[in-house]
Amino acid sequence: MIEDDFYRSSSQFRFWSYTETSLRSLRATTNAIASERVQSALRKSRGAQRSATSSAAGTPAPNHTGSDADSKAGGEETEIECLTPEEEHQLVRYFCEQIIELGEMYKPPLPTIVRATAIQYLRRFYLTNSPMTYHPKSIMLCALFLATKTDNYYLSLRQFTEVIPGDTTSEDIIRPEYLVMQSLRFTFDIRHPFRGLEGAIMELQAIAQGIGQPAPHFPTQTPEDLKRKLHALHPSPTASSTTDRLARAHHNTREILKSAAQMTDAYFLYTPSQIWLSAFMLADRPLAEFYLDTKLGGPPADPQQQGNPLSELRTKLLRTLTGCSNLLQAYTPLASDPDQKKNLRRIRKKLFHCQNPEKADLAGQKRIPAAAAAAVAAAADPATSESEMERLAKKRKLEGKQPRDIFGGELVTQRTKE
Amino acid sequence: MAVSPLSSLSPSASDTAVKLTCAVNLQDNAHSPLITHSTGRELAEQLNDDVRHKYIKDKKLGEGTYAVVYLGHLRVDPSSLVAIKKIKVNAEYKDGLSMDAIREVKYLQELSHPNIIALHDVFSSKDQNLNLVLEYLPHGDLEMLIKDGNVHYGAADVKAWIGMLARGVWFCHENFILHRDIKPNNLLIAFDGEVKLADFGLARSFADPYLNMTHQVITRWYRPPELLYGARQYSGAVDIWSIGMVFAELLLRVPFVAGNSDLDQISKVCEAFGTPTEDNWPGVTRLPNYIPADKNHTVPIQGREFFLRQFPTAGPVGADLLMSMCMLDPRKRSTARQVLQHKWWFTEPKPTEKENLPRKSDGTQKMGNGLTRKGGEIDDYTFKYTARQLDFNAGE
Amino acid sequence: MPPSRESIQNRGDEDEVCPVCKSSRYLNPDMQFLINPECYHKMCESCVDRIFSSGPANCPVAGCHKTLRKNRFRKQTFEDINVEREVDIRRRVMQILNRREDEFDSKRAWDDFLEQREEIIANLVHGTDVAKTEADLQKYAQENTRSIRANQALDAQEASSFQERQTQEQELARLRRQAARQEYENERRELLAGREDVLSRLAAGRPADAAAIARDGQKVLLKKSSARRSEEDRIRQKQAALRGSDARRAGQFGLTTADKAGDAGDTGLIKGLRKIKTPEPEKPYDPFGGMVPDKRDYYTLRDFYPSSYLDPIRQDTRMQAGGYDLREYYSRTLLEAFAGLGCFIDEEVSQRDAANSMGITMPVATEGAALAAGSSGPAGNV
Repeated sequence: MIEDDFYRSSSQFRFWSYTETSLRSLRATTNAIASERVQSALRKSRGAQRSATSSAAGTPAPNHTGSDADSKAGGEETEIECLTPEEEHQLVRYFCEQIIELGEMYKPPLPTIVRATAIQYLRRFYLTNSPMTYHPKSIMLCALFLATKTDNYYLSLRQFTEVIPGDTTSEDIIRPEYLVMQSLRFTFDIRHPFRGLEGAIMELQAIAQGIGQPAPHFPTQTPEDLKRKLHALHPSPTASSTTDRLARAHHNTREILKSAAQMTDAYFLYTPSQIWLSAFMLADRPLAEFYLDTKLGGPPADPQQQGNPLSELRTKLLRTLTGCSNLLQAYTPLASDPDQKKNLRRIRKKLFHCQNPEKADLAGQKRIPAAAAAAVAAAADPATSESEMERLAKKRKLEGKQPRDIFGGELVTQRTKE
Repeated sequence: MAVSPLSSLSPSASDTAVKLTCAVNLQDNAHSPLITHSTGRELAEQLNDDVRHKYIKDKKLGEGTYAVVYLGHLRVDPSSLVAIKKIKVNAEYKDGLSMDAIREVKYLQELSHPNIIALHDVFSSKDQNLNLVLEYLPHGDLEMLIKDGNVHYGAADVKAWIGMLARGVWFCHENFILHRDIKPNNLLIAFDGEVKLADFGLARSFADPYLNMTHQVITRWYRPPELLYGARQYSGAVDIWSIGMVFAELLLRVPFVAGNSDLDQISKVCEAFGTPTEDNWPGVTRLPNYIPADKNHTVPIQGREFFLRQFPTAGPVGADLLMSMCMLDPRKRSTARQVLQHKWWFTEPKPTEKENLPRKSDGTQKMGNGLTRKGGEIDDYTFKYTARQLDFNAGE
Repeated sequence: MPPSRESIQNRGDEDEVCPVCKSSRYLNPDMQFLINPECYHKMCESCVDRIFSSGPANCPVAGCHKTLRKNRFRKQTFEDINVEREVDIRRRVMQILNRREDEFDSKRAWDDFLEQREEIIANLVHGTDVAKTEADLQKYAQENTRSIRANQALDAQEASSFQERQTQEQELARLRRQAARQEYENERRELLAGREDVLSRLAAGRPADAAAIARDGQKVLLKKSSARRSEEDRIRQKQAALRGSDARRAGQFGLTTADKAGDAGDTGLIKGLRKIKTPEPEKPYDPFGGMVPDKRDYYTLRDFYPSSYLDPIRQDTRMQAGGYDLREYYSRTLLEAFAGLGCFIDEEVSQRDAANSMGITMPVATEGAALAAGSSGPAGNV
């Protein structure tokens, strides 16, 4: 179909569309790399620390460098338990939900589309980065600010920061911007399903009013026919009139698009048109099927009949739409699911121990003047310097005793209070 | 589903295919544990490095406050040249990457058309700079041709250039992207004479209702009256006015309406095309920055005779087309599709074949400079607008 | 002994005795030896007359069964019969493989062609792979008669125009010499006449004027001769130029016709020939560059869609005056409603992956090297 070629040229299709298998293996690879690096970085910093303590005690350490021999010597220590890909995914989803919440705090609230864009940025970011390397709390804020810029809803960084709870500074927010953009592979355009839904609703309203246009492949349709068929649909149990029915379907579909479509892998696995139509099917299946039939014709009279490209497309499409609907339907918000919440708390605790100390200060070097950056990049390439790591490791140990208010905790407590 | 007759015809199809393969290659690399484990860096970094290593930077072509442009080539094929536009990190801009860089990257990533400059890749270099790998367009721009007295061209050439420009703009509008900075020096010329729309630093998507857009866009001489009057909701018609001004300039070889301030621009537009009134442009008096015309000095709306007299080279049909692009009321102005459907394209003379168009050969430096110019002002919501200054005399 | 005899003797008996009739030059000093390029066996003129006058016959040399015709017998040009033969082969091959440099895409392709031609000649000279080489040559000759003939004509034309130019130059030189002689004569005559004039004036005038008169006479003479010379030069040059441009024009004309006659693109034997551009029938100008505006598969756009959400805009004159156009919104929403509905990512992306699976197994570096090797192509020997 001609319309499809518009989507095929999008960066979303070219760079960010995956099969379930390829998505899973990509996440597994990302997780594997990050785990390996976390293990080795923590081994190194522990070694460094031990040698530091032992030298402080006055006994010369047998190995005073964080070498391989040292890490072998530290074999009695337990391996650090890293997050699994599934746990990482859960965590990212939690921060996606936080973006929705955070958007509400602005006055006026950030537009749905800005929040949705930020969520997709965050999801894309964590396809090739692990939360163990870069903590989502900071990436999330940066993604949201970037989304305000790319979606033409511009706030100054200062305005943006004022609303953020806690002691987050503007600098904290903007620091990982470059890293985020690089991970997004400099593709900023997100194709959302929202606008498509509006188009369909407008067309259905036109049909309801008897001014519907025949679809290009069905030139014999008349506005009257279309209108009659729409009004003759199996009545919806909740809506009193067709207009009412359309309004409800519209609203419910939009709610699904704002939540389930954002929090699942829908954007990676399906196209925006398939997503809104799947959501529409969940909201009002007879209406959605009616609409699809006006475009592709009804089910073939003879199922055995082959060769009609439109009915073949319809069959295939229905299969895909069902798959997408199931994905959307399976979503339950964290807030409404105590088990998930408990699980999440466990994951965050776990993350606290397997956060990569090398990157804890996250892209710390990311927003420094170019000249200095080059030097730092050169110096920091294989690994951050030993002393730097030691420092970070100590800092983490200290923090470990007095857990700092990690961003997001506030929101959770707020909600639980409610 | 092979129903689409467009897919095979689309001139961009092959481009897309190439990009697609590149993209997939990267993704495949990502899936290959062999490669990932051997390097042991974050996947995101690896992907970026893969792109970066595809190119080799050669000599510097130009430098501006906003960017440095290098000539470069593919590592595997030194004969395939590219321009690498390295956007300088602006230390003073505290809000991160500037809006014009974001816009340029965002929209060029989505557009693939023979009359729009191709963005092959984007990567970040070690020093945290943004590098745009662009199509290399060595033959300068339309402004150079207009100003070069040694270059002679005629109606057939102008027709070919405007045709390519209109096609590029039509494609942007088909994808719901406004360019908002069409002017002769943003129209670059390729090896084969093809005109390419460049500099998307002011571009944005359009058509959504109730969204305010800034009116401080488009270089003054090419800015339509609705923007001069401060309209915050507008349409593709703004770009069409600019095409009309480029068209007129190509014919006259001098900017047609060249005001030296926004106010001056309004009065010059009125003088040239007629004074806007509620009759010829309903609602115009309600536009935010509308200035009532001097009652004693109103110019009637110019008709066909005016355009025929002013632009005899274009011929009567060409003058007709130009007039349709210069309608004061944006709703009456031609759309890009209507421009391309005009009968001028089919009247004599036939548009010159792109290979035979007059050109300059020493445009290399120009591309360098052309791309380093700073995009327009920052955003739609800040208060201090700094309109882009157009200064032909300052020298590029 | 006369030195001539000595030298003849030194050449050896072979050259002196006809291998067919055994008559020797010693007895018959006028004896002429002839050869036939079929087999290059030498025999005397009288043998040729005797054996071949009544029509083609077998070569009389023992063991050679070639059928020879009288008209192909000729005198030997080179002393060494092998050289003679090679020159003949070369001439024949060159007549067939008579491509010209300007017919090739690149210098490299032209060089390849020259090398190939030498190889063919060498094959024929040394008798390697003769049957195949001959067959290739014949096949090529048949397939390219037109271009062979065109190039022959071109060669002939060039040869004749070269000759013409040479005669022209000789003619010019002759004219120049003649003119110089003429001028010398004229000057002499005028000198004499001038001298007479001076003498008569001196005879008639006062003695005080004598020096002045003599000086004047000299000046006039000089002026005249230089004026004449430049005038003559001008005319001569003009004529020469005219002749020259005529010749050039003829040459140019010849070239263009030959170009048109040169038909074949890449023939089987010769690679790298420049593709001959047949002017394509002019396509009508397509302002949309091959795309079809507004063609859609899922919907037919209307100018108005009912929506209470959009109604305020329809009333808002300010938005209208700015040019905001709801039709653009309708168009965008409906496009987005269906764009990609028929893109099945699971299918298309896995196909995409499969198509690139070759790249996955190869380490990046090797892949790059392979690409580099592939792209070096014909210029790869630099």
